[in-house]
Amino acid sequence: MKVACVIPAWNEEKHIRSVADKVKNLVDIVIVIDDCSRDRTSALAKEAGVFVLRHPINRGQGAALQTGSDYALKLGADIIVHFDADDQFAASEIADIIAPIKNGEADIVFGSRFLEKKSELPRLKKYLIWPLGRLVNRLFGVKTSDPQSGFRAYTKEVAQSFRIENNGMAHCSEILIKLSRGRWRIKEVPITVTYHEYGQKFSGGIRILKDLFIQKISQ
Amino acid sequence: MLQQAIALAFIAIFIWRLLIQKKKGQIGGNEFLFWLAFWSLGGLAIIFIRVLDKLLVSAGFSGSGINFLLYLAVISLFYFIFKLRLKISKLEKELTDLVRVITLKQ
Repeated sequence: MKVACVIPAWNEEKHIRSVADKVKNLVDIVIVIDDCSRDRTSALAKEAGVFVLRHPINRGQGAALQTGSDYALKLGADIIVHFDADDQFAASEIADIIAPIKNGEADIVFGSRFLEKKSELPRLKKYLIWPLGRLVNRLFGVKTSDPQSGFRAYTKEVAQSFRIENNGMAHCSEILIKLSRGRWRIKEVPITVTYHEYGQKFSGGIRILKDLFIQKISQ
Repeated sequence: MLQQAIALAFIAIFIWRLLIQKKKGQIGGNEFLFWLAFWSLGGLAIIFIRVLDKLLVSAGFSGSGINFLLYLAVISLFYFIFKLRLKISKLEKELTDLVRVITLKQ
């Protein structure tokens, strides 16, 4: 099975080279989508010898993931992995994420920071933001333990069955909601996350809710 | 009386601007008719503000006609902001689709 790893990147010159280097030997295809960075993200990713596509206008992480998934399908990928460019995920865990698909146990696998493995999670996120996120997801029928997991893998059939329409950070919830409503076999595997920066704040959570609402009523 | 005259002068300016926009082809026929009807009704409401007062009193409202127009204006503004938000959201989506097509052609 051909495995493609899609890495959306925006102003990630600090990490993109090392992330691409770590990932490229673990999958068949690595696609970096440079979302119109103002720094050397594209150049550094190209140096790593992976596929690099560049959005001419910044469109957000969700948009970059969809572009990358489209390109992966074009290259004949059977499994698509979504991976972050900021070096917070462990490349070695890609094997864990794709294993249930390769073994025929699942169509979609989400990485979760809340299973056996212990990640160093910021307290505000752990005790307030994510429980709230989980609660909102439950309202949409999502039962996974991690409300905002960006480390995921799915088959080409799954990729062909839906589109990521939220350009911003709401895409994580959108993917969970859309895929939970499908006929797919979903599995979660534990992952480790290393935070270099705080990342999304409480205001980001509010923006996600707003984006999901706008998307819902504009359909 | 002076307040009514000022309000009517503003409406006249808006209608004049609307006619210029139509002449230059900057707005479509339906949109032109909508805004013409909107401002014309606004003008009529101001001219017959006393009649509007009486109508509201007979309908059981305690406020005056001008208050009623103000409430109506606020509701309309909320509605138009909402419509604009949806329109922007649609344009954003189309822009993303276009960016994706260009990117995948690289």
